[in-house]
Amino acid sequence: MTHQEITLTVNGCRLSAEVERRLSLADLLREEFGLTGTHLGCEHGVCGACTVLVDGVPSRSCLMLACASEGRHVVTIEGMRGPVADALREAFRESHALQCGFCTPGMLATAIDLIARKRASSEDEIRRELAGNLCRCTGYQGLVDAILSVGKRTDL
Amino acid sequence: MNENIGQLETRNDLQVGRPVLRHEDERLLAGTARFVADIRLPDMREVAFVRSPVAFGKLSPVEIPADAGPDSVWTAERLAHRVLPICATLNRPGFHVTEQPILARGKVRHVGELIAAVVASSRAEAEDLAETIVPGIESLPAVSDPEAALDEGAPRLHDAWEDNVYLSSGRTIGPFDEAVARAEVAVTRDFRMARVLPLPMETRGCVAGFDRGSGILTLYLSTQRPHLIRTMLAEQLVGIEESRIRVIAPEIGGAFGGKSNLYPEEVALAAMAMELPFPIRWIEDRYEHFLSASQSRQHVQRLTAYAMRTGELLAIDARFLVDGGAYSMRTSTAVVEAGMAAAVLPGPYRLGAYRFETVTVATNKMGVGPYRGVGRPAAVFAMERMMHETAVAIGMEPHAFRARNMIDASEHPYVSVSGLRYDSGDYKTLLSDAVEAMDVASVRAAQRLVTAGDRRLIGVGFGCYTEQTAHGAEEWHRRGSPFEYGFESARIRIDPSGSVLVTTGIKSQGQGLETTLAQIAADALGLPHEHVHIRHGDTELCPYGLGTIASRSLVMAGGAVEGAATRLAGKIRAIAAANLGCGPEDIRLQDGTATGPFGNLSFAKIARIAYLELNALPPDIEPGLEVSYNYRPPVESGTYSSGVHGARVAVDVDTGEVELLDYVVAEDCGRIVNPMIVDGQIIGGAAQGIGQALYEELRYDETGQPRTVTLADYLIPGAVEVPRIALRHRETLSPFTVFGAKGLGEGGAIAPPAAIANAVSDALRRYGVDVRSIPIRPRDLWTALRDKSFAEMEP
Ligand code: FES
Ligand code: FES
Repeated sequence: MTHQEITLTVNGCRLSAEVERRLSLADLLREEFGLTGTHLGCEHGVCGACTVLVDGVPSRSCLMLACASEGRHVVTIEGMRGPVADALREAFRESHALQCGFCTPGMLATAIDLIARKRASSEDEIRRELAGNLCRCTGYQGLVDAILSVGKRTDL
Repeated sequence: MNENIGQLETRNDLQVGRPVLRHEDERLLAGTARFVADIRLPDMREVAFVRSPVAFGKLSPVEIPADAGPDSVWTAERLAHRVLPICATLNRPGFHVTEQPILARGKVRHVGELIAAVVASSRAEAEDLAETIVPGIESLPAVSDPEAALDEGAPRLHDAWEDNVYLSSGRTIGPFDEAVARAEVAVTRDFRMARVLPLPMETRGCVAGFDRGSGILTLYLSTQRPHLIRTMLAEQLVGIEESRIRVIAPEIGGAFGGKSNLYPEEVALAAMAMELPFPIRWIEDRYEHFLSASQSRQHVQRLTAYAMRTGELLAIDARFLVDGGAYSMRTSTAVVEAGMAAAVLPGPYRLGAYRFETVTVATNKMGVGPYRGVGRPAAVFAMERMMHETAVAIGMEPHAFRARNMIDASEHPYVSVSGLRYDSGDYKTLLSDAVEAMDVASVRAAQRLVTAGDRRLIGVGFGCYTEQTAHGAEEWHRRGSPFEYGFESARIRIDPSGSVLVTTGIKSQGQGLETTLAQIAADALGLPHEHVHIRHGDTELCPYGLGTIASRSLVMAGGAVEGAATRLAGKIRAIAAANLGCGPEDIRLQDGTATGPFGNLSFAKIARIAYLELNALPPDIEPGLEVSYNYRPPVESGTYSSGVHGARVAVDVDTGEVELLDYVVAEDCGRIVNPMIVDGQIIGGAAQGIGQALYEELRYDETGQPRTVTLADYLIPGAVEVPRIALRHRETLSPFTVFGAKGLGEGGAIAPPAAIANAVSDALRRYGVDVRSIPIRPRDLWTALRDKSFAEMEP
């Protein structure tokens, strides 16, 4: 059996697909479901561009097999909504946290998690937590500033 | 901190000069931007390449697997009638041209060279099929080191050449021998700079489709120069006219020079698409990127500085040996790096005499191309290391030695010893800004107290540069470039509803040009920038232009947009005046409204008149509201940005580890159009430079096998490695450009290796150890420190 039928929730919608066992979650999202907001920068688990939230946990969709997402809740950049996501988007824009925008989907996923885990209270902490997400354009300063500004908010 | 911004003519209604939020962010933050890998055409198939696993070898014709489908395997033989080899030329005597086949034939010359292409319905299946094709290659001894490439008896890469030299050139300028004879101090150093690559987070990629009905070939391509790629494709492909080729560069996930040249993959996809009844797509994976995206900056250098004990720098003698890889890329060629390095070496200094020799050699490695700064990071590293070491030899404070020899602001325009014409700049002020920010006095005070027992030593260092940007036809002609980047284009159309569409020949890759160009157009037209929509990157939609390279787009496309907008504003005034009963000079354009003494008209109304209500349009005014303008700078030698980077480091004497404590960039890019974007460009560039200074290195073994083929082998800095970068801005306007702007895209990346290497050398002065190679590896420092001892007195 090289194929398997799976059902998962993506951005709030229940979706089913017949997938090859070797298919990655990233390829499932991008190629089968057309959710190309998730980007592939290395496909070997280093750059973090492909990071999506799986049951709320940031996960490398290039390393995770599609089959392993059976029954899970996956959120991609297209489905990142709500006050924290909105605040982050606004902060990213205001702090110039993106240039080419290729790393941005993974940065947003990671940032949402940082805010949720309350790990965005200082510059040092944010830098450490961002260690798994590479950006070649911004030098990280805008990213750190953006996440810090949202981390400091008490209304979210 | 724009201290002297008050000197500038500032009108508070201007949008140029404001940190306007970027127009491009919304789609990127929503995840709806479309990069090349996101393009999907009906019935599209996927391509994978069979690449050479060896660096040098004799290649037998590829055997097609018996069970392969008729359209699935593409060899050199099969494409021969469709494509011509890539031969990058340079109009300079003695330059050796390489002939790079699209798919290898006869010989392979670097690991990763294309041998065959396969087509399948998914990428995974294409890769499966590619793996079954094992090319027959008889290995030859390879050359992977640039010095070894020069050895007598070294294997020769190209049969038609007598040696492995692409080009060697040299010159002696000024009274060099007298300077050498007069000098009281001579300092010599050998330096090495490792090969690096631009490494955008988005890899390369191409989608190609051929419409048999119309005969139109469409390529979606992650490229910096869509129009020039189209022009080159028309030359490389047999049987298609340029007018039937459309190149669309969609959203680009960074490029930094790495997506400027024409690649064989692009020609192969175009040619295959012309033969196939369905569109095809190839998206480079990161492993392929390390094998086959252009690489840069590998130097072996020998420098000697001649100076007087008073601190007068007399002369520099420089030799640059650059590793050019196996093939010259089109159009940068393999010698792009060496030529630039030699020209820019004198930097911001008054230098009476200069001798240089550059040699670019062929090796069995991937070809080289531009990477943010081209030649300057290496030249500035060489020059600034020499400024530092010469100052130490004389016993002067390095920054004082620099200031002593810097060109004064009042001397501009200044022609450098290498013939570059600096338009304006205040280098001494930038230096003192950086010195102040680094608090050199306190570093010196701390260093005086250091004892042999201190295992963590601090040091401070600087790197100064001038950066030629937005140079025009004259300069490119002088370099021998077959394409002279002499102009840039803009077309502006105001639609009947009053909204503004600007199309231009450049291509933004993350620089925010959709925002900055909108600011420029908005000011010239008199309406809010939000209403200006910039489109770029489509050869069918946009006027012909040269693309985004060489820090040219803001100045060149900015000039074109300003020129087109000013002309369009004139027409708006004329139409308004005719309808408002006044003279065009009485009309003021603001907020999308033309206001005269007796009334006003909205741009929308004026546009309606121009297109749809011609009754109200005077017959001597041409209908429509659209203007095209090509901007050619009045002075073509370029406009010079400048900067001084300062670094403060701590070096662990026991491990050789370097910690970057503080970093400052004092820079001057003329008129700042968008301060937020300028800061972002500088910080981002500096982060790349920090990567090169401390971490990045493409390693090859002696057989030419690349050793760095994942992001776990080749280390780019993360958020922890890049410190907060402090910025100091000055705005010395260019006398030659529209509103005094200068290019700045590359500046940030130029000086970090120099500044950091000087800081580390400063820290280790008591041990008599100084930095000779980049990246600064802990192992190298540790080895150098091992048999050195601490000098009780400052040397
Ligand atoms: S693409 Fe998944 S970590 Fe880089
Ligand atoms: S914005 Fe380009 S990689 Fe992060």
